[in-house]
Amino acid sequence: MKIKMFTAFLVLLACGLGLIVLADNHEEEENNKLVFPKAYTTMKVSDGGKITGVVKFEGEVPKMKKLDINKDKVVCGKTDKYDESVVVGESMELKNTIVYLMDITKGKDFDAKANKPEIDQEGCKFTPHVQIVPVGVRLTMLNNAPITHNVHIFLNDADMGQDINKQQNRMLKKLRIKSIAEAGGPVEVKCDIHSWMKAWIAYVPHPYFAVTDEKGEFTLEDVPPGTYKLGYWHEACGTNNKEPQAVTVTAGGEVKQDFTLKLAE
Amino acid sequence: MRVTFFVLFLLFSSLFTVILVAYAQETPEVSERGKEVYEESCAHCHGIEGRGDGSAAENLLPRPRDFTGGVYKIRSTESGQLPTDQDLFDIITNGMPGSSMPEWESALSANDRWELVAYVKTFYSGFQELEETETTPRLINLTGKVKYSEKSVEIGKVLYTDLGCIECHGNVGRGDGTSAPTLVDVWDFRTWPANLTQGWTFRGGSSTEDIFKRFIGGIAGSPMPAFEGDTFYHFGLTPEESKNFALLEKKVENEEELTEEEQEEYDKLYEKWDTTVLAALDRAEGTELTPEAQKIYDNAMKDVFEKSWHLANYVKSLSPERRPKSAIGKNVLRSQYKEGDLPTLDDAEWGTLTSSYYPLVGQVIVESRQFNPTIDSVNVKSFYNDTEVAFLFTWDDRTNNTTVEETEDFGTSYIDGLAIQFPVKVPKGPTDEKPYFLWGGKKPVYLWQWMASEPESIKELTAKGINNAEEQEDQGTVQVNSEYKDGQYRLWVKRALKTEDKKDLQIEPTVFVPIAFSAWDGANGDVDTKRGISSWYTFVLEPVPSSRRFIYPPIVALLSLGLLVGLRQFVQRRNT
Repeated sequence: MKIKMFTAFLVLLACGLGLIVLADNHEEEENNKLVFPKAYTTMKVSDGGKITGVVKFEGEVPKMKKLDINKDKVVCGKTDKYDESVVVGESMELKNTIVYLMDITKGKDFDAKANKPEIDQEGCKFTPHVQIVPVGVRLTMLNNAPITHNVHIFLNDADMGQDINKQQNRMLKKLRIKSIAEAGGPVEVKCDIHSWMKAWIAYVPHPYFAVTDEKGEFTLEDVPPGTYKLGYWHEACGTNNKEPQAVTVTAGGEVKQDFTLKLAE
Repeated sequence: MRVTFFVLFLLFSSLFTVILVAYAQETPEVSERGKEVYEESCAHCHGIEGRGDGSAAENLLPRPRDFTGGVYKIRSTESGQLPTDQDLFDIITNGMPGSSMPEWESALSANDRWELVAYVKTFYSGFQELEETETTPRLINLTGKVKYSEKSVEIGKVLYTDLGCIECHGNVGRGDGTSAPTLVDVWDFRTWPANLTQGWTFRGGSSTEDIFKRFIGGIAGSPMPAFEGDTFYHFGLTPEESKNFALLEKKVENEEELTEEEQEEYDKLYEKWDTTVLAALDRAEGTELTPEAQKIYDNAMKDVFEKSWHLANYVKSLSPERRPKSAIGKNVLRSQYKEGDLPTLDDAEWGTLTSSYYPLVGQVIVESRQFNPTIDSVNVKSFYNDTEVAFLFTWDDRTNNTTVEETEDFGTSYIDGLAIQFPVKVPKGPTDEKPYFLWGGKKPVYLWQWMASEPESIKELTAKGINNAEEQEDQGTVQVNSEYKDGQYRLWVKRALKTEDKKDLQIEPTVFVPIAFSAWDGANGDVDTKRGISSWYTFVLEPVPSSRRFIYPPIVALLSLGLLVGLRQFVQRRNT
């Protein structure tokens, strides 16, 4: 009898837990986003360490699709353009991966360069493909060609409020975009006028974010000593939100942490 | 034992209830009446939970609004703001032209519509937040309207190009801009830019104020951006200052040395421009402006608003005030008699006629159906002489599709076309039965089928049903010419009034002849039965004007007068 009751107890408990899990249907969505600390305070970091590494791609490399430049061909079609959702180098290095600290709550402030984020639209292509923008900082869109673009940032997809959609007519070489107060993303930015133009913006609360370059390399500097969760995000490969990588940084030391990513299912 | 189990069960069910209650509390109090009306009238399309996924949603384009994201296209509020209650009420009341959203003014009481507004708002938490913080969405400033004038329209026209409206809406506004075929909305459905020459299709209305609001505030969820102050060139500078600044900017760009004076001027203008842009950004971010910054901003916005009214006036000028009346009654197509040669496609003489308007609807009777036709109508003019008749058909189509193409994002795109339908035998009178309007039935129809892939030929068909058409063996001489320009097809067709072929329509002056249309927009997936169609209309060759009209009426008038006088005298005589 006791066993029976215990079983009944377990069954009910399982049901209860199941209900809670079911109720929390946001989880799936959150797996595509960055993870941020609840709060972040800045301080001077003098004995920080460094985290470096290389992100590589594993599996059959998807062929980079040539984009159909169907308008403003004289300017936009000068060079061939390819879909940049998976950019893999000769030794499988993966470009455009965000590598960052998920749970850092104290550390350095943004430097001057980070506080002036820009996306260039030269040749009707967003450069960089992944841009980090500190919260409360305005992004500048550059446009040196006499081509009209519209800057359409899909904030609503990440529950970050209403989308931004501003026309940058051919005479506006610079267009500043309002800052966002809360961290979130990455969110897509598109130009509806040139449908092939797509990029990503991450609104972040602290400076420990890096985007891998052509060599798949990233560097996070001036990290206060301690153990952190190291996360990544890639538009086609997803995140490691479920199993973040633990790294321990020592004063003045350098930690190496590589990642190997596969296409998300 | 049982009792313990029961107690445990109770414990868990209470826990369960607590969880449920906790979740239930997240949704605000709902209006019972609003819920009732919503579920009866709205849920079929918008879904029980407001996700835009009702049972009818699949076949609708634009799709029914998903209320849970708080994205509202038609607002009187600035970009990034939620709509006002009045905005929601107005959309429910008036519907959205050009979409499947009907007007509810005739079906629901005002009170029920307000209840609906309250209920629809519960689907998105942002509305609740507004209420909690006691803020209201920021309205677009509608003061300072510039009166409609030719001059204002001229200024607006220049802005239309400069600001880049042309990219999507096209050279003359027919929604045929070079970006038009690639547009998608935020829900990843294909969307077309408005055809600005057809104001009756504007979702949020076509008054100058409506146009102004769509321009300033953008259309959330669609590719239509907001034209805020800082999206204008040199925001904050007067036209003169802007001109000077542009010259100096050019010099700086070319790395030319500026004189001290020039440098001073450059710095001053840069500062002025920058300060204004910063004020606009502060404002957009929700920072309260200092009185000084507010003044700078307001001042700069005066110019922006003025320009925006000019632009709205220009857009307003592109479309007739109302949808034209269809070609029945007074507006029936009357082919005009002309001695000698009939005008060709580009003849200016066509300009002397007003066109007759034939509205189209999607063909939804036979598989495969077109629930979202993109061709609004066909406009027709006609001349005839003693032996021939010529027609000029025009219709708007945003894309010129001359081949079948597989597109990556939008499926197969087919060939554009138009078919003009007549009965083989003209009914003897209004009571005589016409063939079935959908390409005939027992009674056959005679068709001219034109395809954009062969723009200078036309096929004569005989059909006894929409899937039962065949090319005539004897293809008579029907002359054709056509042109596609700025989002519009113009098709010119000329044929002899009488032919030898028994399967052809024989045309006689003064006899009313049924006419109907089918139109295919290949980019919209139109092919075979999937198309836009019209019902039967009629046209007539206007009687040959003859000199007799100057003789008979006066004779009749004189006779009538004489008769009246005679009658009067007769009555008078009898009375005395």
